[in-house]
Amino acid sequence: MENGGNGNGVAAVNYESKATSTITIKGILSLLMQSIDDEKNDAENNKRVISLGMGDPTLYSCFHTTNVSEEAVADTLLSHKFHGYAPTAGLPQTRQEIAEYLSRDLPYQLSSDDVFITCGCTQAIDVSVAMLARPGANILLPRPGFPIYELCAAFRQVEVRHYDLLPEKGWEVDLDAIEALADQNTVALVIINPGNPCGNVYTYDHLEKIAQTAKRIGTIVIADEVYGHLAFGTNPFVPMGVFGFTVPVITLGSLSKRWIVPGWRLGWFVTTDPSATFKKPKVVERIKKYFDLLGGPATFIQAAVPHIINKTEESFFKKTIDNLRLTSDICCKEIEEIPCIFCPHKPEGSMAMMVKLNISLLEDISNDIDFCFKLAKEESVIILPGTAVGLKDWLRITFAADPSALVEGLKRIKAFCQRHARKCLKQY
Amino acid sequence: MEKWKFQGNQGLKSSAVSVRGVFNVLMQSISKEKEVVRLCRVDPTDNPLFSADPVAAHAVSTAAHSGNFNCYPPTFGLPQARRAIAEYLSRDLPNKLSAEDIYVTDGATQAIDIILPVFATPGANILLPRPGYPQYETRAALCGLEVRHFDLLPNSSWEVDIDSLEALADDKTVAMVLISPSNPCGNVFTYQHLKRVAETARKLGIFVISDEVYAHIAFGSNPFVPMGVFSSIAPVITLGSISKRWILPGWRFGWIATCDPHGIFQKTGIAANIESYMEITSDPPTFMQAAIPEILERINDEFYSKNLDITREAANALYERFKEIPSLICPHKPDGAMAVMVQINLSQIEGIADDVDFCVKLAKEESLLILPGVIVGLKNWLRVSFGLERSAIEEGLSRLKAFCLRHAKMSQQISA
Repeated sequence: MENGGNGNGVAAVNYESKATSTITIKGILSLLMQSIDDEKNDAENNKRVISLGMGDPTLYSCFHTTNVSEEAVADTLLSHKFHGYAPTAGLPQTRQEIAEYLSRDLPYQLSSDDVFITCGCTQAIDVSVAMLARPGANILLPRPGFPIYELCAAFRQVEVRHYDLLPEKGWEVDLDAIEALADQNTVALVIINPGNPCGNVYTYDHLEKIAQTAKRIGTIVIADEVYGHLAFGTNPFVPMGVFGFTVPVITLGSLSKRWIVPGWRLGWFVTTDPSATFKKPKVVERIKKYFDLLGGPATFIQAAVPHIINKTEESFFKKTIDNLRLTSDICCKEIEEIPCIFCPHKPEGSMAMMVKLNISLLEDISNDIDFCFKLAKEESVIILPGTAVGLKDWLRITFAADPSALVEGLKRIKAFCQRHARKCLKQY
Repeated sequence: MEKWKFQGNQGLKSSAVSVRGVFNVLMQSISKEKEVVRLCRVDPTDNPLFSADPVAAHAVSTAAHSGNFNCYPPTFGLPQARRAIAEYLSRDLPNKLSAEDIYVTDGATQAIDIILPVFATPGANILLPRPGYPQYETRAALCGLEVRHFDLLPNSSWEVDIDSLEALADDKTVAMVLISPSNPCGNVFTYQHLKRVAETARKLGIFVISDEVYAHIAFGSNPFVPMGVFSSIAPVITLGSISKRWILPGWRFGWIATCDPHGIFQKTGIAANIESYMEITSDPPTFMQAAIPEILERINDEFYSKNLDITREAANALYERFKEIPSLICPHKPDGAMAVMVQINLSQIEGIADDVDFCVKLAKEESLLILPGVIVGLKNWLRVSFGLERSAIEEGLSRLKAFCLRHAKMSQQISA
């Protein structure tokens, strides 16, 4: 694939192959949007666009952040006290607040030294991959997953090895695959819980098994908890840090999803590691040195975090959960009525779900990408082809939308499927 | 005790120290006996006289309150922000920029973080100024770019040593970096000199990365000239931010601008590389981007010139006071940016080994923080910032003078 680096193995990357071979979610979604625009220009088809493609709930009015956060940020901004540089690891009060916030659900206490503030969870992902990159390293990523991990790994010359999530088992991790894939160069196992794109929320037992497997193969866990606490089904959200005594865990998170402010770019990289593997001076030094190179989020937004975390009302959180439960129910119900789409596991958390496309039931559709492009053109509905997240002939549907838009969108998908159904089956 | 396969990125181990890192070391040496005076960091908010124009905060607050900008921003930036920056930069350029030439970043720090790996093909090298800004060295090391240093000449107003530049370049040289106005030297390059640099770059077949984070912070006789003026001679990538001119470093808003009328960045794939890398990098908050058009358009000349006057006064005061300290030599009166380089005449000092030793002892004895020049590439020099109010500068320089007198070689002391 790529040309190699110099003797130190630091990244020297061939960007052309990267641009064509790695699909980004935003990239595909914008291509889908474009095909709608092109269509609109010449056809009379002027339906309003319904996007069920991106994990950005702010597009819909029923998902809106609390006044508490908006006021907190306005306050810190207009105080004029936070125009200066923040320390590279983050403002002390912000680090302290997040340490306390996360510790509420852990059997040990985090200190502010464990917390590093990042520009959104995206940057936290980039930092964790960059920290671990070394010559010959490989990282275990879930499939389906979140393609930013693949992109970061490619840029840092870390080999990616995919383990499967099992749809028939509630999208649980294939633990045998993990043991088979790991070797002495495996630097981390990434899990995303609550799950994007699958909408799963792992049980305590399953997370424990993951921790034990990681310990057995001698690798740390990167727990992407960007959807932390967004669990609306029967399984409660359990942070991976709970198993920090078993295996060192790096926890990634942000305000983006739980507080519905993805545009604010406030995230964290946290060493949830009571056995202090990451506290060795050399390791801490390296993490700090890396953060010295980064810009970090705006100081005044960092300064607003303690107020945001402390003063957000329970009722706001509950409202979000109720909305997600409602919209995921709607989504599943509507999908039941579409023969060529099958949902193997009702989502219990996050904002998206994976459904399988039965191509054989469709007349002139070759795969999931074809499906999504034709759907966009004909019905002005956007959903993500599963290929973008690693599963061909599946679809990712984001259900964090206004119920009316969701119902309308799914009805159009149903109409589309009926129109394209294989003729001999239309008799049924 | 189990062995975990976590060894961390070796590239970071061998990388150069960072400005903020050394700052931490000095902070640990500092004695609390006196009130600390910081002449080490270029955070303009340290100076209480510098106030950000309230227009900026109001614009951002309005955008935040509207609730329309809580969503993820587009990868390269909100279109209105890109357009506003293009228009703002084009005011001083013969070849107008379009929105597509602008990529919005999390401060100029992130602009550096993005642009260096873009040039990192196997075996490539990049030419950096010495003295310079250490983030470039560190970032280059992390992406496998070999670094070669060309000199800035203290006795020629810190101009680029064009001969050393030419001697260093070979067929693997991809680009050169120029910090203009200069951090740490405090000089503003002339039009003629920048043109010569562009012509040299063209001759060598390399791009110019012009770090213009201190754009328009020029308070002497030389006006600020953006390198983009010469983009038809050699393609230029300009880095900038609102941190210094608008006194808002904590807001983390910057940009990469491709000044390239002949479309060379498109042809060579550089533009595609920048765009690729931006897929995984983060961004400034959407609501801040939304406020940028207003911030760039409405802030008035009075605000700029007031801040420039303050900076000029501080720089002049600093320069005059340096003249009173024989063991410190300031070869060029600062006329731009926010810091100046000063050489330690070690032959006139006793009991101090080098610049780091000087600064540690200074922190201990006088609670005064100055950056040792080794951090920026010049051992036994000092980088002194003047982004402070006059009284702090006077106090700081008094302590510096006392320190130097105390440590002066015996023969000097007697004659003083």
